[in-house]
Amino acid sequence: MAQSSSASDLSPWTALLLLAPLTAVMLLILIYPLGLTVWTSLYNGRFSFDAYVELASSTLFLRVLRNTFEIAIGGTLVSLLFGYPVALHLAAQPPRKRTAYLIMVMLPFWTSILVKSFALVAVFGNQGLINQFLGFVSGGTLNVPMMFNRVGVILGMINFLLPFMILSILGSLLALDRRLILAAETMGAGPLRIFWKITLPLSLPGVLAGVLINVTLSIGMYITPALLGGRQDMMVANLVDFYTRQTLDWTAASATAVALLILSGLLVALLGKVRGSAGLAGAGA
Amino acid sequence: MTASSTPAMVELQGVAKRYGEVNALHRVDLSIAKGEFVTLLGPSGSGKTTLLNLIAGMITPSSGRIVIDGRDATTLPTNRRGLGMVFQNYALMPHMTVFENIAFPLEVRRLSKAEIKRKVGEALELIQLGHVANRKPRELSGGQQQRISLARCIVYNPALILMDEPLGALDKKLREQMQLEIKRLHAELGITMLYVTHDQDEALTMSDRIVLMNGGRIEQQGTPDTLYFRPETVFSAEFIGSSNLIPGTVEIGADGAYALNTALGRFAAPAPERAIKAGERAVLLVRPENMALADAATPASVAGHIEDSILLGGVVRHFVRCADGSSLIIQELNQPGRSGAHRGEAVRAAWQPQHGRLLPPAPAG
Amino acid sequence: MNELFGSSRVARGLVSSMAWLCYIFLVVPSLIVIPISFGNPGQIEFPPRQFSLELYRQFFTDAAWWGSTVQSLIVACLTTLATLVLAVPAAYALARSRLPGRGGLQGLFMMPMLVPVIVLGLGLYLQYSNWGLLDTTAGLVLAHVMLTTPYIMVSVMSGLQHSDVALETVASIMGASRLRIFFRVVLPQLKISIAVGALFAFLMSLDEVVVAYFLTGTDTMTLPVKMYSSIRWELTPVLAAVSTLLTVLSLMIALGIIAMQGKTEASK
Repeated sequence: MAQSSSASDLSPWTALLLLAPLTAVMLLILIYPLGLTVWTSLYNGRFSFDAYVELASSTLFLRVLRNTFEIAIGGTLVSLLFGYPVALHLAAQPPRKRTAYLIMVMLPFWTSILVKSFALVAVFGNQGLINQFLGFVSGGTLNVPMMFNRVGVILGMINFLLPFMILSILGSLLALDRRLILAAETMGAGPLRIFWKITLPLSLPGVLAGVLINVTLSIGMYITPALLGGRQDMMVANLVDFYTRQTLDWTAASATAVALLILSGLLVALLGKVRGSAGLAGAGA
Repeated sequence: MTASSTPAMVELQGVAKRYGEVNALHRVDLSIAKGEFVTLLGPSGSGKTTLLNLIAGMITPSSGRIVIDGRDATTLPTNRRGLGMVFQNYALMPHMTVFENIAFPLEVRRLSKAEIKRKVGEALELIQLGHVANRKPRELSGGQQQRISLARCIVYNPALILMDEPLGALDKKLREQMQLEIKRLHAELGITMLYVTHDQDEALTMSDRIVLMNGGRIEQQGTPDTLYFRPETVFSAEFIGSSNLIPGTVEIGADGAYALNTALGRFAAPAPERAIKAGERAVLLVRPENMALADAATPASVAGHIEDSILLGGVVRHFVRCADGSSLIIQELNQPGRSGAHRGEAVRAAWQPQHGRLLPPAPAG
Repeated sequence: MNELFGSSRVARGLVSSMAWLCYIFLVVPSLIVIPISFGNPGQIEFPPRQFSLELYRQFFTDAAWWGSTVQSLIVACLTTLATLVLAVPAAYALARSRLPGRGGLQGLFMMPMLVPVIVLGLGLYLQYSNWGLLDTTAGLVLAHVMLTTPYIMVSVMSGLQHSDVALETVASIMGASRLRIFFRVVLPQLKISIAVGALFAFLMSLDEVVVAYFLTGTDTMTLPVKMYSSIRWELTPVLAAVSTLLTVLSLMIALGIIAMQGKTEASK
């Protein structure tokens, strides 16, 4: 066999020719606007960090930042709480059945976020399925507001985040050597002990990656808080939009966007450390 | 068909290939005559594949010149060298039918539809696979796929067909059948072929000439007979056929007769082809089939006892352990009613002194 | 059956009931729009108390809805074609050359996947407002080409990794030119990876809302942008019909991708 079959290698010039158009598009439509954003945040008649200083002292920005962390971390924790049992359940299925269940898990992944948002309003809204049922049961007295508030954002968020969490944990559960559990059971260990001493510790890498993916994905979330949250639930991405369209303060919008870019860049780097560059797909959503 | 009279199809002049500090191929000179079947034989890492890739143009030499069919091809791109190649894994296009696969090189050469049809038909006829023209390669057996890949080469009549371990993926029986088939095609079509293998039997069966490679150099080249009967080095002797090697010191008598002083005794031997001085270390090679079990002491014989005897169908092999702990192999024809040798039996391994061959000692390491 | 948390019945019951709760929560939002869409055209209602195709009639006859749908389909088709034309040769060059800095280029091509879309949306908005590209189809398609490039890249690069380099070598030895090798040997082997990447890119572009929201105006509004403002401001029941159509299309594309991926695995 040809170990170094450079006959199949393109000449450097051909390669450059093939790479040039896409590279040009990416420089023009990706790098240039990112650079422009950074530039806009720093240059407003003169070069300064004023926008960042203002941002750091803006109560609006700080409140939005706190919201963002609360929602991202809260959503991730709920997603972990429910995602772990789902992953356990999936891991316990025979392969054919698991595939069938996985289709259900992946369904939201393929559905438009707008369709899901609309449907969540139809299910959890004030006139939604759940409140209709509660009203019917309680004779019209009970109505739990679950949309256009923090609960709504978290619901929308976990509907989006769960598939990523589940797949990440499932990966490490499937890699786990089941004989360990069998051995522990024959030695008389109860289900709780087995879970705490074996299953959970050995699945921690998957949990960690899942948590990081979820936080990274949710930190830049725009549609869900805009459609399912209330005024109090604005996240950083919505603030960017707010500055851009409502107050037309492009400098503040850019500074906010750069802050988000840095934050998300750090998370992506951390995620890359945890599990290589695989599984970063869709982290920009 | 020897190289001297006919013009060369391929001429390598001082060709070498380095990867950084590593010499994949030291300066090599090699000439392949038109119509010749040359085999590059050697263990993996000996440089045979590098040599093949250099000729194919997959890599460019660090120094030297490659001439193909009278044209300097040193820097010519692969697709302009006019070669054919057969790979171990067939390299048939999975998305094309057998017909389309064979038609591909003709299409490249812009032949007319009618001509392509005729030539592909002839090629399929030649390999007796006309009936599979419309199938996809993966529906065929390994042997059939390799014949298709041969037909794909033959169809456009390249100056030279390169074969990189083409039969390595086939089982033994199919391999032997294919060896004969390739030999037949070579004889019928007179195409120059350069064949790479690490299998000595294959090389001996098929080649007009064998080029034995070792450590990035040509160790020895010649006809199969030459390599088998007149190896020039211990490496050649060991790589081709099996051999008994007895190390010792050279003695030259007053009459110029050579002998080797060894731990097993002093043995007369024919004069070596490359002069070895008296007192130098040398190795005496005797092929197992030139040794026989003897009862009495003969001029060239060694005492020992039979450690094991194995039956290989037509021949029997005895493993004889000598007094100094070294071991010799004796190969005899298997005859009906042959008296068996028993394990542990004291015997003598004997040979005609003229069958011995003095070789320079193997380089250290 | 379940060794992961021992054979306790309580543990198993707890896990499977939580799992089923999640399955329902994950599936219902994608599917509930279907019955609603065939129900009462006056208000969003589940379970529907009547059967009607009125919402679909409204969707197909309302120029705003239908127009934005056509616009989305056009943008998605143009995006897919343009990304293929740009990204497939680039992926081939990355896989089959030894240019220095290939890693950097690959990083550049994958980068849109890692940057929050809102940041790209703002940056493009700033850029396009200077360049007069706001509210143009060309501008939106360009932005979507950038966004979908990583997905086609991933698919084609993995296809190239699984394709047999020896076939390209042998074609070259048989005298085929670079161009012929690309079209006759490389592309046919990449058929499925390209189709998978193209479907993915099509769906991504069709569903993309944040960047489109920043870059489009009344002339170029896409379906997701129209849906976004509709959910935000009026919450009309027509949304159920739109959502159903979009979901059916998405699922067909998803099934297509899964089926084709299955095919590549079976042929290995």
